[in-house]
Amino acid sequence: MRFLLAFLFFLLNLAGFAQTLEVGKLYSLKEGMSADEIMKIVYHNKYSLFCKDITFKGEVIYVDSPTLIRKRKYIKHRIILGRDGFSYKELTAITYPTEVKGLAILVWSYLSPQKDQQVWLWLPTLKKVRKISASQDDDAFMGSDFTVEEVSTRRFEDETYRLIGEKKFAGYRSKYKNEMLFKGRDCFVIEAHPKKAHWYYDKRIVWVDKKTGGHIYEEYFDKRGRLFKKIFRKWELVKVGDKLYPTQTALEVEDLRTHHRTVILMEDIKYDQGLGESLFTVKTLMRSRW
Amino acid sequence: MKKLLLFSFLTLTFLTQAKNFEYAGYLKSEVWSKINNDNSHLFLSSFKNTFDLETEFKLSENLSFFFHPRFFYDLAYDIRNQDIFDENQEKLGHTQRGEWLRDCFLDYTSDTLDIRIGKQQVVWGQADGLPFLDRVMPFDLSYYWLLDFADIRIPLWMIKVEYSPSLNSTLQFLLIPDFEASRSAPAGAPFSFKAVNIFDAFEKVNKKYGGSMNTTIYRPPKKFKNSRVGLRWRSMIGDFEYTLNWLYGYSTSAYTYTDSFTPVIAGTFFGNYEISRRHKLMHIIGFSFNKSFVNPGIFQGLTIRGEFAYLHNEPTYYGMEGKRRLTEKTDKYTYVLGFDKYLFTNWFFSLQFAQYIHDKKTFSGYHVLNTYTYGLMDKVENYLTLKIATDFMHERLKPEVLVVWNDDNDGRISFKAKYELRENVWLTLGFHHFWGPPYGSNGQFRNNDHVVFEVKYTF
Repeated sequence: MRFLLAFLFFLLNLAGFAQTLEVGKLYSLKEGMSADEIMKIVYHNKYSLFCKDITFKGEVIYVDSPTLIRKRKYIKHRIILGRDGFSYKELTAITYPTEVKGLAILVWSYLSPQKDQQVWLWLPTLKKVRKISASQDDDAFMGSDFTVEEVSTRRFEDETYRLIGEKKFAGYRSKYKNEMLFKGRDCFVIEAHPKKAHWYYDKRIVWVDKKTGGHIYEEYFDKRGRLFKKIFRKWELVKVGDKLYPTQTALEVEDLRTHHRTVILMEDIKYDQGLGESLFTVKTLMRSRW
Repeated sequence: MKKLLLFSFLTLTFLTQAKNFEYAGYLKSEVWSKINNDNSHLFLSSFKNTFDLETEFKLSENLSFFFHPRFFYDLAYDIRNQDIFDENQEKLGHTQRGEWLRDCFLDYTSDTLDIRIGKQQVVWGQADGLPFLDRVMPFDLSYYWLLDFADIRIPLWMIKVEYSPSLNSTLQFLLIPDFEASRSAPAGAPFSFKAVNIFDAFEKVNKKYGGSMNTTIYRPPKKFKNSRVGLRWRSMIGDFEYTLNWLYGYSTSAYTYTDSFTPVIAGTFFGNYEISRRHKLMHIIGFSFNKSFVNPGIFQGLTIRGEFAYLHNEPTYYGMEGKRRLTEKTDKYTYVLGFDKYLFTNWFFSLQFAQYIHDKKTFSGYHVLNTYTYGLMDKVENYLTLKIATDFMHERLKPEVLVVWNDDNDGRISFKAKYELRENVWLTLGFHHFWGPPYGSNGQFRNNDHVVFEVKYTF
């Protein structure tokens, strides 16, 4: 009997392992994949779980009105772990504007989808490190039109998925750069529903680019079926050695209720520089000078 | 001459290392105005104009130099008519002595060893706004506890070494040969402590009756052997983070002693006084911790933090309400427990409970006194603080409110709203309301509610 239970446990574990993509490995989309298989790869790519580490400079642009545009700039380092219970660790430092320059955030993200992130903050006005509670998932990411979940905490396990079909993307005209992007790209179209009851959206339609494995376009619907938010993500394949890493280089979001827009641009992206885990510690936060 | 040398060094470094040079700064004007006039203060308490510049020179991958000057001038003293407060222009009207230099340090960083040498701030503890373990730096309480703590702390020249024997553990060693005394506003200023005003008033009355008060200030001599030393061990057990702290040296606060008294009128307290203000050797031993609940359950999203400090041999005042009679070394125990959580999407709630426990409530028949007011204190003083913060308009508008309450129904409520007019122009509106008994820490300012308006241009 004990042997049978052990065998069953082994099989369950094996099934669990098969469901999880291997950290540090690149996956590409293939014809005939199920919605779940596609979305696992999308999340794998979203959090760059295929690489060892990544560093980039980011710029958040708030389009409050045609005449008022505000900016925040930051530098982000991320190390992919996939061990000791951790998925990745991330260090973000705000570099602009001066009023918030120096604010730095250390995040440890777990492999377990049920666990919240551990978050530390360097507060320039107090000149101290402060452990803080993780932001709520539906809170605005850095005050933008993105939620925290849309940028950094949503996991594969948070939704259920259904493949609607395979279509050519009509293209997205970037309002910030005024250029047509991804027109005619072959995509999987997936309908996703949040598992949480009474969440801020009821459904989203996700367009996944077959070439890059990135979710290039999302439409968010409320309980009454009204479209209230559109997100576009520009994905590129960045050559690192003999590999092509799928990389988000720009995001645009528009809240159709307020007509407020936010753009996030990523540049100077560097992969696999050999960042040490010691960079992602409280000690690094305490080095802050600003 | 020192300033000239420093500026020359910086200019040379800038010219040779321009691509590794970074700067940021601001120009700020702030107006502090009293709401209710009790004839002891004027409406315009302060019209402070500040220039602040932070610069960083990256000399190499592991070496950086940080330089941060700040200057201010308070126009209130020029605008107002001559009155009692204008006597304080010398102390509060402009940048004092070496205070213009907020930071000036050289940083060496590596995986296992970080060394910071120069003028800097070191912060201990987990509490917000309650400096129980945060006692490494002296404080400038000219505006009570109403400013940001980074501005309240007085930076010191020191050496800070952080050694990491393992990934998430560090041993911090502090050697502080520099000494600055904590200070408060002089008598008659908008936020001068009651104890200071009482002392000043008594000195004047005593003089009328033919007495005198000769005050001598004893600072620890600036010798290496008088350096303060500190150790802090920080580590994690799972996701439970803790520190163990020890600090030894002269107290940054000066304590008042009556060395001799000769009455000029028998049976009264009028006479000739020899008063001294002394800094005493003392130990601070403590620990702090924090833990965020990240697993599913009713506590998920909650962060608990705390700190404890044992103050050994801290001079303490004993006497009657409003009258100090003795200064004796005693022990104190203090701790804070804090609970933080985000609720309703983006409303941050932070609740703190603290106790300040005196080892001896009475001494030679006298009662323990509040250092700032000479008010009577309980053996155990209880404090509650609640901070609520949120943001609107895509973080353009950030309001927050802080309530501080003591079990003698002494407290304050401070409200602040910050508005981003443009990326580089920020407006702040603040309000401070105090209540409590006249000898309470906050109650002493109960007729001293203030509104604050601030315009800040950053570059």
